[in-house]
Amino acid sequence: MSENYVAPGQQRYLRACMVCSIVMTHQRFRDEGCPNCEEFLHLQGSSEQIESCTSSVFEGLIAIADPTKSWIAKYNRLDGYVRGTYANKVLGQLPDEIRTMLEEEYRIQYIPRDGSATEAD
Amino acid sequence: MADNHYGGDSESEDDNFNPAPADLSDEEQDANDSSPRVSRKNDHRSSSPVADGDHDEDEDEDERPSGRATKRPRIAADDDDDDDDGGGGEDDEEEEDDEEGGGHRDGDEDDEEDEEDEEDEDDVQHSHRRKRRKPAGVGNLFDIEAEVDDEDEDEADDRDGEEIEDFIDNAHPDDIADSGGMNDDRRHRDLDRRRELEASLDAEKQAEILRERYGKRAPTRGYSDMAIVPKRLLLPSVNDPGIWAVRCKEGKEREVVFSIIRRVEERLGTKNELPITAAFERAGPNSVMKGYVYIEALRQNDILLSLDGILNVYPRTKMDLVPIKDMPDLLRVIKTPSLTPGAWVRMKRPAKHAGDLAQVLDVTENGLEARVRFIPRLDYGVREDGIGPDGKRKRPGIPGPRPPQRLFSEAEARKKNPRHLQGNPQTNSWTFMGDEFENGFQVKDIKIQLLDVKDVNPTLEEVTRFAGGSEDGTENLDLKALAASLKDSSSNVAYVPGDVIEVYEGEQRGVVGKAVDVRGDIVTLRVTEGNLSGQTIEVPNKGLRKLFKIGDHVKVIGGSRFRDEVGMVVNISQDRVTLLTDQTNNEVTVFSKDLRAASDIGGQGSLGQYSLLDLVQLDATTVGCIVKVDRESVGVLDQNGEVRQVMPSQITNKLPKRRTAVAADRSGSEIRLDDVVREYGGQQRQGKIIHIHRSFIFLHTNTTNENAGVFVTRAGNVNTIAAKGGRINSGGGPDLTAMNPAMKRSPAENNRMAAPKSFGPDRAINQTVTIRRGGYKGLLGIVKDTTDTHARVELHTKSKIITVPKADLAFKDKVTGKPIDIYSRGGRGGGGFGGSGRGGFGGGGGGGRGDWPGGRTPMASGAGGRTPAWGGASSSSRTPAWSSNASGARTPAWQDGSRTANPYDGNRTAYGGATAYGGSGGRTPAWNSGSKTPAHDGFGHGSKTPAYGGSGSGDTWGSKTPAYGGGLSAPTPAASGGADWGYTPGASGNSYDAPTPGAGLGAPTPGAFSAPTPGAYTAPTPAPISAPTPGVWAGGWGGDTAPTPAATAPTPGASGSGYYGAPTPAPFTAETPAASGGYDDDE
Repeated sequence: MSENYVAPGQQRYLRACMVCSIVMTHQRFRDEGCPNCEEFLHLQGSSEQIESCTSSVFEGLIAIADPTKSWIAKYNRLDGYVRGTYANKVLGQLPDEIRTMLEEEYRIQYIPRDGSATEAD
Repeated sequence: MADNHYGGDSESEDDNFNPAPADLSDEEQDANDSSPRVSRKNDHRSSSPVADGDHDEDEDEDERPSGRATKRPRIAADDDDDDDDGGGGEDDEEEEDDEEGGGHRDGDEDDEEDEEDEEDEDDVQHSHRRKRRKPAGVGNLFDIEAEVDDEDEDEADDRDGEEIEDFIDNAHPDDIADSGGMNDDRRHRDLDRRRELEASLDAEKQAEILRERYGKRAPTRGYSDMAIVPKRLLLPSVNDPGIWAVRCKEGKEREVVFSIIRRVEERLGTKNELPITAAFERAGPNSVMKGYVYIEALRQNDILLSLDGILNVYPRTKMDLVPIKDMPDLLRVIKTPSLTPGAWVRMKRPAKHAGDLAQVLDVTENGLEARVRFIPRLDYGVREDGIGPDGKRKRPGIPGPRPPQRLFSEAEARKKNPRHLQGNPQTNSWTFMGDEFENGFQVKDIKIQLLDVKDVNPTLEEVTRFAGGSEDGTENLDLKALAASLKDSSSNVAYVPGDVIEVYEGEQRGVVGKAVDVRGDIVTLRVTEGNLSGQTIEVPNKGLRKLFKIGDHVKVIGGSRFRDEVGMVVNISQDRVTLLTDQTNNEVTVFSKDLRAASDIGGQGSLGQYSLLDLVQLDATTVGCIVKVDRESVGVLDQNGEVRQVMPSQITNKLPKRRTAVAADRSGSEIRLDDVVREYGGQQRQGKIIHIHRSFIFLHTNTTNENAGVFVTRAGNVNTIAAKGGRINSGGGPDLTAMNPAMKRSPAENNRMAAPKSFGPDRAINQTVTIRRGGYKGLLGIVKDTTDTHARVELHTKSKIITVPKADLAFKDKVTGKPIDIYSRGGRGGGGFGGSGRGGFGGGGGGGRGDWPGGRTPMASGAGGRTPAWGGASSSSRTPAWSSNASGARTPAWQDGSRTANPYDGNRTAYGGATAYGGSGGRTPAWNSGSKTPAHDGFGHGSKTPAYGGSGSGDTWGSKTPAYGGGLSAPTPAASGGADWGYTPGASGNSYDAPTPGAGLGAPTPGAFSAPTPGAYTAPTPAPISAPTPGVWAGGWGGDTAPTPAATAPTPGASGSGYYGAPTPAPFTAETPAASGGYDDDE
């Protein structure tokens, strides 16, 4: 059975990770954490962290069946992530301290998913 | 890149080579252990560094830095070249691994060996891995293998898969063929190049790289890439899969995408594995991409296969390939303008406040919630229980009639529901029933998806309500914030060709021009000022605003509450324009985008069917004149002089303008529409009559603009200043002196008698006439309208209305075309008589009342009745008529006149005075009776004439008179039966006796005639006559009762020349007082 499928009735609980934009239900974030970012976001089991690092406001839904071959995945910088559903745009901003931590400790250049990075191109 | 493409091919080839049983077994295996495997994989992947900790860690670190190591320089140096080379190199290696290994275990070992060289750390694809394994063994071996994997070959397995997958991706058939030979060489070259690069970097950078490589936990895969490669290098190429837009049911886009991912995952690793690589939808609430899902796949057919049977998506109906250059646009993400405190938004929920304007106070850190304030809609707990009037629990989704927006009132809350209220009066912040209120506004945290941020379009009216709420009462309206909100909605600014526009933003800032074309949001300007003058430029409407100059006449078109006001620009400050409205002379300030140069003036002036100055019925007893037209209501000045604001729905109906409406002014003269009158007392306002309603007249003046210059007064309270069309009003009603018996008596004045006035509409109207004189002589027409002296005649020949003196008209019968006298009393039947009668009078009239004869011809016949009275005085020409017996016959006419006393009472309000004249009084009713058939009959009766013949002298008059009498009273014999006239034979006998002696008449005349006289007379006359008469009359006539003599008076006068002088005054004097009395009463 498909793990990434979300029944329509559950879709209101969907949230998108602000870092990788993966879309899952709140429940799943809590149970499993973010499959791409768990390492530094530590969402698993922490509703608080989920609240601050994921957003229930997102636009567009992308189902990535093959992250390596899909141009869509590449263009949205989703290649390298797990197969699943992602958002095209995630509103909301990562809390500053997490952002700082990401960039300093993990050397990850955080790219906001809310469209504010587009102008940079 | 090319490799990628071929990779796909080789993969499919592989599929084909696979024997069917192997496939089956694969599936089986999949079914058996896919779930543990997958989950294990996931574990490993998602939380590898954390969860799997130690044993993975070094592995990962080893791998990853290596990957990075190659990547760094790649970026630093030449991107493309290196990419190709490196890719090629690694590909080959891996291929080789695979080929020579022949089994994955071997491959693993190779892997370990070649760890350093491994470059790509892409995600594992289970399916591929499995496929590669297939040849390795029989079905049940896999389980064992899997166990082994589980134990100690986690990462090996992992890498193995990756590597193999890479191979699949990139393998080129040719490469496979000769890879063995090339491999060694290439690896060396690659390594060399890398070392070189590293060496070329300065120490610091190197240190950085090293630290990155070893000094920290590796980031999850993909991040480094993501952060580094700019988007423009990610543009699609021909080798990337295509994207097709597939129609789907609107609103179901997201479900479709979920269905697709489910199918992808369900068929993963089966032979039916979906060949698509991605699918997405972007059907936001305002998106243009509704009704489509976009599928990424290599071939269109793949999509057909993949989507077959999925609900709500219709791959067979329409499928469009998205051109490569458009693909990035499909995924473009535009930043939502972030909310800033002070901005205006509209709320979507709670439903009670849907659409209400709110102001952002604060935004949470993550930008997902905003604290807004808005005007509450409170009923203070009236419907608190949530149970509707029908006893059913209301559904929360359906808002009932929502309470109006009102600021929170602490007092009211305390009154209605004190226990739910807590708060602090100092700060004026309260909590009531769970809601927070500050300074009267409700304050609430609302998720931004429940707020409409774009196209808010707050009207000034709404915003003012927020502004008014400051404590010191000053307007703290922040037009700047408002302007910012409004600017977002520049899309609804409509520029039309001809608008003068200023560019205020961008390169062309300051350019002023006239719009010549508007297409979408591009406006083409012809520059009118400055260096560019005369050139045509195109600018987006974003940085434009309309330009007005002080003094321009403009109309408000936009969303402000002043919409449709028209006025003159008096001040301009940036894009705020102040104008002075035409209608109310108020200054209003609006944004220039809401203005347009106006060609019309004064606002719309009408609301629905009601327009300015219309007379409308408000209720059964109230009418009013519209003096102001607003957008949704009208101001009405009612008959009592009050102005009220009513909705159109409150107006019963509109009263049509009656051009024929007549009223009497203070002096009794008639006033009609468009006459200019002045108030007698009070403010002595003067105005033109625009409406007459009963005794009220609505006047319009230009001297004031209060109530649009309209005021209302009573008709009896005005004096005529000028009558339309030169109607003669000089006398200002009946000449009282002329009616004064005392003056009448004096010889000098004795023939002065107030002109009989006509009442009711001029009978000439609608008559067919020929014109007897002038340029239009001989033409036929219909009288449309008349004044005292002139008539407006619509010609038959050409559709034209001309004005001709009435004297120049000859009336014709509509049907027969015979000349008629419409004023004759006997009606058309008595044409002969009427004519002669009038003629006679024309002469007579010349004596005394020059004014009248012409215009008042109608009186002629009526006057005939009266003649006796004046006859004596005015002319002898009539005397013969009088002297004849026939004159007696005419008496009834008199009586007729006097009879009209009845109608007199009712009708003649304003002209009461005039009515006293038998003639005029009689006319109205008498006319009717006279003109009716009986008149004719009577006239035509040969039988009757003889009866009179005896009495009549054979004189023409005489002969006619009876007829006349007959006409009135329905011939003598009939007279007795003529209940109309109220006399009976018996009465006739009696009454006859009475007058005759006094009159000294010959027997015959009265015999025929006097019968009706008294009968008719006694009844009505008394009222008007009896009172005055006695004084005057009793003296003259002795024992007679007052009325009777009055009636009979003329007869004698007429019959006997000796009496001549006597009778005349008699009736006259008799009447006069009555007349004046009546008049006074009326007044």
